[in-house]
Amino acid sequence: MKMKKILVISLLAVFGVYLAEVLFKLDFGRQFFQQGVKDFYLITSPIKLQVANTVTAIVVNFRGFDTLGEVTVLFLATTAMGSILYKGRHQLGERTVLFSGSRIVTTGSRLLFPAIILLGAYVFIHGHLTPGGGFQGGVIIATGFLLMLMAYADYTVSHVVLSVVESLAGITFATIGLLGMLHGGSFLQDFLPNGSLNDLLSGGIIPIIYIAVGFKVGAELTGLIYTALNEKD
Amino acid sequence: MNQILEIIGMGLLLIGSIFLFLGGLGIFRMPDTYNRLQAGTKATTLGGMSVILSVGLLEPDWFIKTLVLVIFIALSNPISSHALARANYKRKNYPYLKGGKEYDKYREVYQKEEEETA
Repeated sequence: MKMKKILVISLLAVFGVYLAEVLFKLDFGRQFFQQGVKDFYLITSPIKLQVANTVTAIVVNFRGFDTLGEVTVLFLATTAMGSILYKGRHQLGERTVLFSGSRIVTTGSRLLFPAIILLGAYVFIHGHLTPGGGFQGGVIIATGFLLMLMAYADYTVSHVVLSVVESLAGITFATIGLLGMLHGGSFLQDFLPNGSLNDLLSGGIIPIIYIAVGFKVGAELTGLIYTALNEKD
Repeated sequence: MNQILEIIGMGLLLIGSIFLFLGGLGIFRMPDTYNRLQAGTKATTLGGMSVILSVGLLEPDWFIKTLVLVIFIALSNPISSHALARANYKRKNYPYLKGGKEYDKYREVYQKEEEETA
């Protein structure tokens, strides 16, 4: 037994040494780093757009149309999942989770729920300043609702409110794009003043779009979780 | 002043990493679910809290944010371990004890409760 372990460890060590040698020899696509696109993004996003988070600048500003497509794909995916799981209006209310948690769990989740929602809102409001953004913040908000749905057997979320929030967020995104067109540019043209770097109100249309995306993703995933919990088979 | 903060922060970092290491070792070494839960949550609660607090002391600008994080860990980690242990007990996965049943005082109460609700 001991011999076997020593053998395994020494084999792993030999393997690791070889792997490290190969990895040190590679120069990880160095030739791509020395030209063009990277410099354009890294220089343009803090100086011209006044956005500290370059990833957000690329996702929402340079490639905003792609993000609109992504949001649409997410919407279609959740709709499809919902239509598979949904079994008609009358079966709603039959849960797979039948009992509430203990008193410690319910009280604790009541305490933690606002904090989680606040964290999610913080993540998507500061999308242009810190890592994270609309998608991540929306997912955090959905986990808050998941916690409440797991802790309480009789916790309900209104599907009507969810779909209204979701539609309003989508309409906001598209309206911002159309306003850019009205302002005399292309769809999703940045038409708001850019402000100064590291201010909360900076970065043009990025904060507005990311707040909309955060609400949309949060509502979609909450609805999906709620439908999945209500499915009883 | 800064130097004192730095020394305290480094000390907390050391304590935190020792506890996190012991927690990991405990998950590997302990015999049953409850002992593993104790190692995996009690030790990581203290370890995580002191590591985060030490970051706050080494970078005084972040102190309030790290304090919020510490409060969050103090709330969430024990609750989640409680939920896991309770779920495990409800599945009749009773603790591993050398002396046998008489050390598990909760079992009689629990079984009586079960009979009453059934």
